[in-house]
Amino acid sequence: METIISLVGSVLSTFLKVFRIGSGNTWPGEIALKIEPHILQKLVSRIQKGIIIVAGTNGKTTTSLMIKKILEDHGYSVLHNKSGANLLNGVVSSFFADTRTSFDYAVFEVDENALPGVLAALGKKNTTPITLILLNLFRDQLDRYGEVDVIADKWEKALRTLPQSTTLVINADDPQLSLIGRNISYPALYFGLDNELLYLPKMQHATDSIYCPICGKKLEFTGVYFSHLGDWKCTNCGFMKPTLSLTEKEIHSPLEGIYNRYNTLAATLVTKQCGISAKEIAASLKNFLPAFGRMEEVIYKGKKFKILLSKNPTGFNESIRTVLHSDQKGPLLMMLNDRIPDGTDVSWIWDVDFNQLNPFKNALIVSGDRGEDLLVCLKYSIDTYKEKVEKNLIRLDKQLDEAVDRVARSAKKDETIWILATYSAMLDVRKILTGRKIL
Amino acid sequence: MKLVIGWLYPDLMSTYGDRGNIMVLEKRCEWRGIDVVIVPIDFSTKIGELRTMDLLFGGGAQDRQQGILIDDLRKNKGPTFKVLIERGIPGLFVCGSPQLLGSYYMTGDGSKLDGLGIFDMVSKHFGNDKPRCIGNLVAEITNEKLKSTAKRNTIVGFENHGGRTYLGAGVQPFARVKRGFGNNGEDGTEGAIFKNCIATYSHGPLLPKNPHIADWLIQKALEVKYKKSISLTSLLDTEEWDAHEAMIRRLV
Repeated sequence: METIISLVGSVLSTFLKVFRIGSGNTWPGEIALKIEPHILQKLVSRIQKGIIIVAGTNGKTTTSLMIKKILEDHGYSVLHNKSGANLLNGVVSSFFADTRTSFDYAVFEVDENALPGVLAALGKKNTTPITLILLNLFRDQLDRYGEVDVIADKWEKALRTLPQSTTLVINADDPQLSLIGRNISYPALYFGLDNELLYLPKMQHATDSIYCPICGKKLEFTGVYFSHLGDWKCTNCGFMKPTLSLTEKEIHSPLEGIYNRYNTLAATLVTKQCGISAKEIAASLKNFLPAFGRMEEVIYKGKKFKILLSKNPTGFNESIRTVLHSDQKGPLLMMLNDRIPDGTDVSWIWDVDFNQLNPFKNALIVSGDRGEDLLVCLKYSIDTYKEKVEKNLIRLDKQLDEAVDRVARSAKKDETIWILATYSAMLDVRKILTGRKIL
Repeated sequence: MKLVIGWLYPDLMSTYGDRGNIMVLEKRCEWRGIDVVIVPIDFSTKIGELRTMDLLFGGGAQDRQQGILIDDLRKNKGPTFKVLIERGIPGLFVCGSPQLLGSYYMTGDGSKLDGLGIFDMVSKHFGNDKPRCIGNLVAEITNEKLKSTAKRNTIVGFENHGGRTYLGAGVQPFARVKRGFGNNGEDGTEGAIFKNCIATYSHGPLLPKNPHIADWLIQKALEVKYKKSISLTSLLDTEEWDAHEAMIRRLV
């Protein structure tokens, strides 16, 4: 039976690829699951050494690609699901999209809400050890995902059902995730930052877990790296940031942005557990290329564009911080869509600290389905809004393609054009810049 | 002139862009030369200080966060809020606030939670089988007080709630739903008005795209505080109305 379904899956997968039918990354899995709901239990026997699962609101794609690269550079064969295909159907589809039938490792990035379902689908009989990375948990698409606390509860319940051979790799800077590590009986390893030079001057507005997840009292933060990630402890019940198994001094992030330091830490800690040396990991990461839309560089009409997927307040804040701190200067184009992959609710833009952009000298352009909403945000956040509008340094360019063309024409030769975009806007802008559709 | 704006539990009742309302109130006062002080109201706030508020704002809370603050609100601050609101102090309460301000909230499993009892209304959750009310919302202001002063008679927002609210005789509906669900998806009402306070299911940043509501709140706050009729300097709200109109064009 498994062979037949696999065959059907593979044929379908190839068919969809050849004819460039959209969602080809999830259909084969969807159909296979319809025929045999327990298909994943059978498929995982193809994985020999370990199943690595990456979960979290931000950083899943980058972290899993880093892990994949390090493992492959070491000579391991790796199965990996495509970004955007991170539900159960995408995980199952990845087996069909790959012509190999045996792998050393599988690296799966899994959507926050889909994690319990994917873990359950691995089945009780699976003997391949699981390593589960919990990167962070921020507010994101409440219309679709529900509240942060609800997700954390669901995760903990699902994690309790995993075998003792499981290893958890947790971001110690996130209080709510640290609690999960404490409540689970199998081992947890922690990564985090311990660098006071990276502390924010004050707490950002977009925080989710600044109250003790055990006793409910307000946590004390010696310093915050971003959102609610920081050096924390509860002075009431004594719950505090766990001891780190790997610190930032031991790594070098190949990408700009504080969040990429977390991604690098997670990837390094996991691959170390796979027996790869620190030196080898560092060498692998040195020439790491970002995933599409994640600090991706594209040359268009002779100008350099950098695309930063920014889909929730924390991600957006960190993208802005990255742009401000980069040596590469140039105009900033921010795009907000409200389609299903973006989340239909754009209320979150009011949790973004756009006032960070007060010292920004270059042009600020807003665009997308809800570009008008971004413009209102800027009006209430930028002190010199009026003058900047008069000088055309702040403007709404409603149509994406026109916005991109205009900024490409107006940018100076040596400038970098920064693009911050929600998911569907990022795909659209990539299509304009590269002339190709990716998903 | 000066306004003191009390922001209820900003750490706990800020689920999704609620801060936008405060930013809009603050700037629209500043642009008119009205001094503003934003006072975060939390566990440490004394009742004496609470009494000095000229305008109140409450955002949405996640369940755990609501659990942390509900006792403080019911036992310590609720009665003072009631006095302020009865006195005509304006307020805006978005998101799940209709559930908090009303007489009671019946949860999905049938247990009854007491609300603050300030607004004459009840809320019920019919269990997870009944779909949540989620999506963009357009409504027409029906309330006479608001209608007579506001520049436009529509509001736009986004709602996301599992509970349904039913209004009693002691409150008036805020608006009539044109697109969306509103209080319960049945009787066409959206939100409620009691004295100068607005409760609405439209969550997060209501005021940025509804500057007329922001101005109404500011005007009422000044009138109550300075005991005279106030007319606010009008502002050029091109961006706000563009965003407002864009949503109406899309939905209606």
